[in-house]
Amino acid sequence: MEVSHEVEALKQADISSAATTSLVAKFQTGLLAALAKKTGGIELLNENEIHVELQSSDSIPEACSYLKQEFQARLAMMICSDERQLGRGFVLRYVFEAKAEARNVFIFVTSELVESRNEKEEKDGNNSDVKHIISFPSIVLQIPSAVLYEREVNDMFGLLPAGNPDTRPLVLHEQWPAEAFPLRKEFDLGTKVKRTLQREYKFTNIEGDGICEIPVGPVHAGIIEPGHFRFSIQGENILNLETRLYYTHKGIEKLAENMKLDQVLLLSERISGDESVANSLAYCQALERIGRLQVPERAVLIRTLCAEMERVYNHIGTLAGMSTDVGFAYGAARLNILKERMMSLNEQVTGSRLLFGINRIGGVGTDLSKDTARLLYISLKTILDDFNLVISHLRTKSSVIDRLRYTGIISRQVAIDLGLVGVAARCAGIDVDTRLDNPYSAYPMLKVDSHHDSPQHSTQYSVEMQKRVGDALSRFDVRVEEVNDSIRIIRDLVTRLLDDGSKSLAAPRPSSFEPYSHALGYAESHRGQTLHWVMVGSDGNSLYRYKVRTASFVNWPAIEQAVLNDIVPDFPLVNKSLDLSYSGNDL
Amino acid sequence: MMFDRFRRNRNNVVNGTDQGKAQVKGSNDILKELDQFEKLSFSSHGEILGNRVATLHGDFTDELGGTSAFRGNVSLTAQNVKAIIDNPPVLDEYQNAVDVCPTAAIKNLLGPGNKDPTSEGIFDTGKCILCGRCQDIAPNLFKIKNYPALAVKRKSELLSSLGGEPQLDGGKEVYSTLGEDLKCKIGKILGRSLAIREVDAGSCNGCEVEITALNNPIYDIERFGVHFVASPRHADVLLVTGPASRNMEIALRMTHEATPDPKIVIAVGACACSGGIFGDTYATTGGIDNVVPVDVYIPGCPPRPAALLYGLLLAVDRLKPNIRKEK
Ligand code: SF4
Ligand code: SF4
Repeated sequence: MEVSHEVEALKQADISSAATTSLVAKFQTGLLAALAKKTGGIELLNENEIHVELQSSDSIPEACSYLKQEFQARLAMMICSDERQLGRGFVLRYVFEAKAEARNVFIFVTSELVESRNEKEEKDGNNSDVKHIISFPSIVLQIPSAVLYEREVNDMFGLLPAGNPDTRPLVLHEQWPAEAFPLRKEFDLGTKVKRTLQREYKFTNIEGDGICEIPVGPVHAGIIEPGHFRFSIQGENILNLETRLYYTHKGIEKLAENMKLDQVLLLSERISGDESVANSLAYCQALERIGRLQVPERAVLIRTLCAEMERVYNHIGTLAGMSTDVGFAYGAARLNILKERMMSLNEQVTGSRLLFGINRIGGVGTDLSKDTARLLYISLKTILDDFNLVISHLRTKSSVIDRLRYTGIISRQVAIDLGLVGVAARCAGIDVDTRLDNPYSAYPMLKVDSHHDSPQHSTQYSVEMQKRVGDALSRFDVRVEEVNDSIRIIRDLVTRLLDDGSKSLAAPRPSSFEPYSHALGYAESHRGQTLHWVMVGSDGNSLYRYKVRTASFVNWPAIEQAVLNDIVPDFPLVNKSLDLSYSGNDL
Repeated sequence: MMFDRFRRNRNNVVNGTDQGKAQVKGSNDILKELDQFEKLSFSSHGEILGNRVATLHGDFTDELGGTSAFRGNVSLTAQNVKAIIDNPPVLDEYQNAVDVCPTAAIKNLLGPGNKDPTSEGIFDTGKCILCGRCQDIAPNLFKIKNYPALAVKRKSELLSSLGGEPQLDGGKEVYSTLGEDLKCKIGKILGRSLAIREVDAGSCNGCEVEITALNNPIYDIERFGVHFVASPRHADVLLVTGPASRNMEIALRMTHEATPDPKIVIAVGACACSGGIFGDTYATTGGIDNVVPVDVYIPGCPPRPAALLYGLLLAVDRLKPNIRKEK
């Protein structure tokens, strides 16, 4: 009983509407003053999304830099969608978070791009040779982290970011023809475009005495995903690293537009196999916000439990990988045993070793039986004991710690400029965690970590954060701490589940959602914040647009910065310590 | 099981912090009950015994099939295709499952030209992603078993007429016995260990997680003479995952060319077998065999480690004739 009271209280506290309203007010006056008559309107959607419509795309840079300066806003993602069928043009949405001003609010700056005259002429059959180019003003000068989003839009929609110095192909490699734009509506999912050999990809060229290049990948030496790394080195020192990804690009966003909502759910689990719960949770929550579905409490608890199990097994796996990469096989073996135990528990809870299939739109698919709950509770205790034992051994080995300390440093400024999320950001002294910033699922009623439960702890934590140097050792430490926290959370959830007698596992699913309504879903995976923006399709049971931005997309550029003071043999360790997903980035 | 050499009571071991308790108010009874359980149960602790082997005992299953909760192969309860088609309510149920299946693993019997009751192969294990939706919607017709679909040598064998009962008694085969078989075969055919190069051709990384697991101390595939190598030039076997994304197509071809003959290609997972959930789109090629010739198909999404091992067992068989030809 007590528990459900708590839920009610916290659900209400969840979105502090007062803060939101005051932010809307402040924002409205501020932006209206700043942009005079340039805004078309401000609207509050889905309880915590503030949508600002710009009258003209020319004011995009102005509006974005205003948000950055006045609200210390961080660009969380950029969404483009082809809404020409809906009587608009291409629509750009810049999503910002302004945590300093108001927690748990997403600010959408929306602007429509009008089709150029040339394209209209082409449609009418005037086959002029003039190449139509639709462009939009780039914001990379104001917000450097926008560069990859803009390149992506350029590839997938054929919209040119005017002013972005880097418009090399990103998603579609150079063998793709320049005129194939997969996310435009007229592009058919099954199109097999012909390869061309006309384009070429230029890596940054570093020249000088004794400088050479090492190309690595896409097929790597270990059992990992494909990507290309181009090192420029002098001796063993890395002077520059350029990553080339998107080898695993599978067209997930386009594919989703051709699927039913329930099938997209299965697809979302496979955006990155080891992040299945976080991604499917973000997706489900987006739709639940659109349909205003009340997810039953039991389902909320089970979801959160699985999300934390995912964090535990992956963090343990990453720590094992780091141990391998410093050449300490013993630690790796011990941690891998624990990871295997976690995966075996995963299977007993969800039927899948990777936790596939737990989330459903409006709830969960599997209940947690009393026996499994007890088993989980007990096994996790022994796993945690063993984990801490192994970690304490690792900590006493100078051969491990020395390799980790001051390796792969990500400075705070880099983290801010790139808008990093997750463990990488927390290690550079930035306090971000979607579970705390935008509480969802059961997190409002849980103690996520021991740093935010009292003002004193918060202060202590911010002091501690200032000391973090953002090296591999701090990422090691933070992961260890998070494993401890997560196991505590799971055990807490298990007792709540045993306490909870309710049976309902899912809210009644509406037969369709309102066409063209849209919402943002979010979750904190073990890699960091994952954002899923969905716009429902015309029949209410499909998607018009599905934009996914995983933590890996945001954090990948950090690796190019992190290795700059290191030698080549440190690269695998730095890479592992950041634990990035290629598939989650490439989609 | 093999690691269960020393059982230890957890009380003998240094305890970690017990933070779980402080959290919950109002569920003291439950906590007490759980503590009781905890005391009764033996711990599955590994311990560090100086320079000796680490010991553990746990809830691992050594069987090829998973725990009872595992969502594995799909089986159809109908006797034959005719039994479905001639019975309208059953056919309705069947068609509901066809609609709900995300990968078209279940053949649409009402599609043009599909109503031939003699046509077999209505269920494609190579496409199934083990989501269990067919069982949810048509529980009388589809049953999810708790053992995996097994690897096959020909793509047509992935199509099972009704239900795909496993060739082996999946539930009872034991991982370590299979492994010993594999070791024998490798020894006989190669006279050295088997070298594998893993290639990710666009997977979601789920399959990689399972392949990596083969190397952990629980599955420890090296003890059977199987070795993952860093370069295709050293490999006998290419273990390929993913739907072969178009961006990886060239790299996959080149890797295949770089592998010396005789070589075996194994397609791992639904994606590699058929494109899986990612299908055949502008960005994928709809399966590894559209890019390079495939010798063994291992279905599953992802295939569990034991199923991977079984696939290797088949693959080694395939190496035999090749080597003879060489001689
Ligand atoms: S379990 Fe397999 S056959 Fe059944 S719906 Fe899922 S993918 Fe289709
Ligand atoms: S088969 Fe399944 S687990 Fe393997 S890569 Fe494909 S989607 Fe991922």
